[in-house]
Parts: sequence; structure tokens; C-alpha cells
Amino acid sequence: MTIFTINELRKTFTTGEVAEEILKGIDLTLQQGEITALVGASGSGKSTLLTIAAGLQPASDGKILFNGRNMTSMNQEQIRKIRASDFGFVFQSAHLVPFLTVEEQLFLMLEVSETTLNKVQQKKEIADILKLIGMEHRKSAYPASLSGGERQRVAIARAIIHKPQMLFADEPTASLDSKRSKDVMELIRDLTKTLNITTLMVTHDEEMLAYADHIITMKDGLAE
Amino acid sequence: MNIAWKEIKKSKVKFMILGSIVFLVSFLTFIISGLANGLSQDNAALIKDLPDGQFYMNEDAEETYNLSLIDPNTQKAALNEHDGAAALSIQMGFLNDEADKQRSVAFVTSTESELFENVQAGEIVLDRSLEEEGLKVGDILTNNQFSGEFTVKGFVDQQKYSHAPVAFINMENYKEMYRVNEMQLIFIPDGGETPVIDGLQSFTNSEFLNTIPSYSAEQLSLNMIVWFLVVISGLLFAIFFYMMNVQKIGLYGILKAIGVKTSALFKMMWTQMFFITAIALALSIALSQSFNFIAPDGMPFSLTAVTTVQLSIVFLLIGFVGATLSGIQIKKVEPLQAIQQGEV
Repeated sequence: MTIFTINELRKTFTTGEVAEEILKGIDLTLQQGEITALVGASGSGKSTLLTIAAGLQPASDGKILFNGRNMTSMNQEQIRKIRASDFGFVFQSAHLVPFLTVEEQLFLMLEVSETTLNKVQQKKEIADILKLIGMEHRKSAYPASLSGGERQRVAIARAIIHKPQMLFADEPTASLDSKRSKDVMELIRDLTKTLNITTLMVTHDEEMLAYADHIITMKDGLAE
Repeated sequence: MNIAWKEIKKSKVKFMILGSIVFLVSFLTFIISGLANGLSQDNAALIKDLPDGQFYMNEDAEETYNLSLIDPNTQKAALNEHDGAAALSIQMGFLNDEADKQRSVAFVTSTESELFENVQAGEIVLDRSLEEEGLKVGDILTNNQFSGEFTVKGFVDQQKYSHAPVAFINMENYKEMYRVNEMQLIFIPDGGETPVIDGLQSFTNSEFLNTIPSYSAEQLSLNMIVWFLVVISGLLFAIFFYMMNVQKIGLYGILKAIGVKTSALFKMMWTQMFFITAIALALSIALSQSFNFIAPDGMPFSLTAVTTVQLSIVFLLIGFVGATLSGIQIKKVEPLQAIQQGEV
């Protein structure tokens, strides 16, 4: 089932009098529960495409349809609500809140997504996901005391604790070694398949492409 | 979940430093405000403790009561027309006790009135501070401009003028001492509207206080220090929260990216500001009120609950404004910026 569609998406950055078109009319369709990888050389526009799709910056032209709703015609508050409840994000770095424990990071995300779960259900949900990522023994730890791999696992848990429909991952394994990269990608694949989450991921790492259902190569602002 | 409180708990030292600076500044402000109030009482309790009303002095006196001489007919008419009105004069001078020790006082005399001590000729009523210095009822005091003697009739609380204890004397004795028949001032307690008296200029209580040169200069300096400290504390809040916000730009960006409302981030900052300020103020109020009791005798210190509450509210407001101004960064921060910056 198609959940996310991009039509003729364009993005132009203007510096002074110079306008540079980074995305030159991208068309893309994502199916529910599938992982799509965006690959391409630096400057090809893949990160720009991901951040526009995720509602983190506006497009210059074109349409983005999420569940049939046109995101390009929404205001900031409507997009924020979608980001909070329907989208999940994993970045190159974990970007955890430094003064919250692992468990509190997940509580915060549930709160932000305005979950309908009560406190007991929230606690159970968090316990379940911590078990899934193998971090239940570290639930009271602060980010500073976690290893890079552990932090990224917590970041993934935070991205999906509220059961979003879409997961946007911008080089989620870039800061990890090869072994941890594989662990993290397996985790993303297993969780998104279990929870039927649609994933759009940017990666440079060719080994990670094995985990994707579809691969889209970007070149000079166009999807090939 | 209260993330503001979680951050305070995790970064105690950072918030304690800010809190201790707010505490020091507010404590200093309370102490200086107490001194300003104390000096103001010491300088003009005689006037400050009067009910609201109007003072009148001669128009030719150029707002200097010492130069004012009110025509006796004008005085008589004014006192007859207005209930509770009194004519009075104030002159600085000296009293010598039986051991010939000289003491500086402010001689005050008035027509019969409930607002001022009325004494018989040859009697004198003094401010209680002179009792603490050893004078007692029945003591004989003299003045080199007065042919007779003054017998101490009693003492009254908090009657000071120009940092000197007030000595209430009879009008006839005053006229002899200062070789005048006219009074300097007329005071009419507030009867609603301000009566106009031909040839006389009217002043409210506070306007009259400001015509006393030492009073206005002293209060202006002290109040300026108090308000500078209040402004400094506002700037401190702005600077501290600005620095904290700069450190947290990345964090704010990520929180915005995952869907946290900008208003929630402002609430987080305001909660922290109110928490720190409330604790710092509670401590400085406790200490400054204790100082109220332990201040050395003779030190003009008076910090009332009203002044303390007013200043505390000003501190909270200025802290709020300072923190909010620095928080404009939060509104500006873009999630993308934070993501591109790397780890927070």
C-alpha cells in the first residue's frame, strides 16, 4: 500500500544573486513497511530530499503526499504534529537529551507524540522496546555513560516508541564501526518490519544496502 | 514529564552558580533598599509619618521652607477654614544637658494639632533616641538662644528630621529663640481636593520631602543603586540564559525536529528561571530580614515586608524579561541546523 508519495519535488537554494537547484523534479513512492535507501555522491541532494520529506525544511515546488494529505500546503503547526506523532527520526549522531536517562528519553517521546496510553501502559511499552533493543539493563543510564552503539540503539528506540508510520534515517550508521553498523541496521530492519513502519534512509555505506527493499540512486538532483 | 526540573537535577552546579549570583545581587539590593529606607526614616520620619495632605509655604521662599514666612493673617484664615490644619516651623539647633553636653536636634513647633506634640512653655518633648542616650523625664536642658530652661516632659517614637532627633517646643519659646513671629509652613491633612491659598505654594507630602536638599540627594543616590542592581540582575539573567541557550541550540533543534513545541521549550526555560529566582529570593529575604533584627543599634536600616515583596516581584519580572529576551534564539533555531551540527 502506498503511504508516501513525492511528485515533481524541487528545491532551489539562493545565495546572494546565485540560485542553485539542488532537487530538479523528484518523483518517489514509498510502500508501507518497506525500507527505501537513498544513495549517491555527496551533493547529489539525498539529504535535502530526506529532510524535505520529513517536514524539516520546505520544498520550492512539487507535492508531498502522506496518507493522501498534501504536506506542502500545511502550516508549521500541522507539520509539527505529523512529525511528533507519525514520523520518527534517526540521525548520524544519536542526539539524545543529555540530562534524561534512557527510560526518560522514551517517556519524553511518548509525551511529545501525545500518546493516549496511560502511565502504566507507557511504562510497559518502554520496557518492551528496551528489551527489543537489548538495553533494559541500562534504562537508568544517562547518554554520557553509554557507548556510541548503545546511544544509537536508544535513538532508534526513541524514533519508534510512539509507533510512527514513517521512519527517516539520515546515515544512521555513519558514526559506528562495521560491527555496530550491522547491529543497528538489523535492529532498524527488524523493528520496522515488526511494526510495519515505512523507512526512508540515506546511506553512504554500500554494505547497508543489503537491508533495503528498494534503492534509489540520486545524481545531480535527480532520482535514477 | 518536567524536563526543566530534570535538567536542574542533572546540572546542579550550573544552576547553583546562576542561583548564587541572583542571591548575592538580590541580597545586596535588599540591604541597600533597607539602608535607603532607614536613612529616609532617619532623615524625615517627622514628615513621612504624617497622613497624606498638603504643605504650604510662601511663594517667595523658592521652595525652601527655611526661607518661608507665612503672613499671620493668612495663617489664621487657613487654620480656621480647614479642619485639622496646623502651622509649624522646623529649625536645626542644639540642646545642652546638665553636664553641658551638646546635642544636635531639630526644633519643631506647631499650633495646636493632633499631628504634632503640643507642649507648654518651658517644656520639651524629645525623640526616644535621646532617651537611649541617657536623657530622662525631668532633665533640664538649655539652649544659648533661649533665656529660660527646658524641662524634659516626655519622649516620642520615630520623630527624626535631617538625621537629628526632633525636639518639640512651645511656639512662644520658638519665637524667642529664632526672633520670628511667623511660622514657616502650614499642613492641611487630605480633605479630598487641594485647597488653594493665595500667596502660598502647595506641596504633597512627597513633593515637600523632595524640597529638603539632603533628603532628595541621599534618596536619589540610594534608589539609583537599588535600580542599577535590579537592572544588573535582569542583564545577568539575560546573559546566563543566553549562554545556556547557545550551549543548547543543538538540543533545542533536535527536540523541535521530533515535534516538541517551541512554547514547551520556553516553558522549560521559564520554569528554570522561576525556580532559581524563587530559591535565591527566599534565601536573600530570610537573610535580609534577619539583618533587620541584628543590625547594630544606630544603624538606620528599615526593610519592610511591603518593600521586600515589591522588590521580589520586580526581580521575578526582570528575570522573566531577561530570560525571555535570550530565549528568542529558541524561536529562531532550525531543526536542520542542529542535525547538521552533530552530537549535542
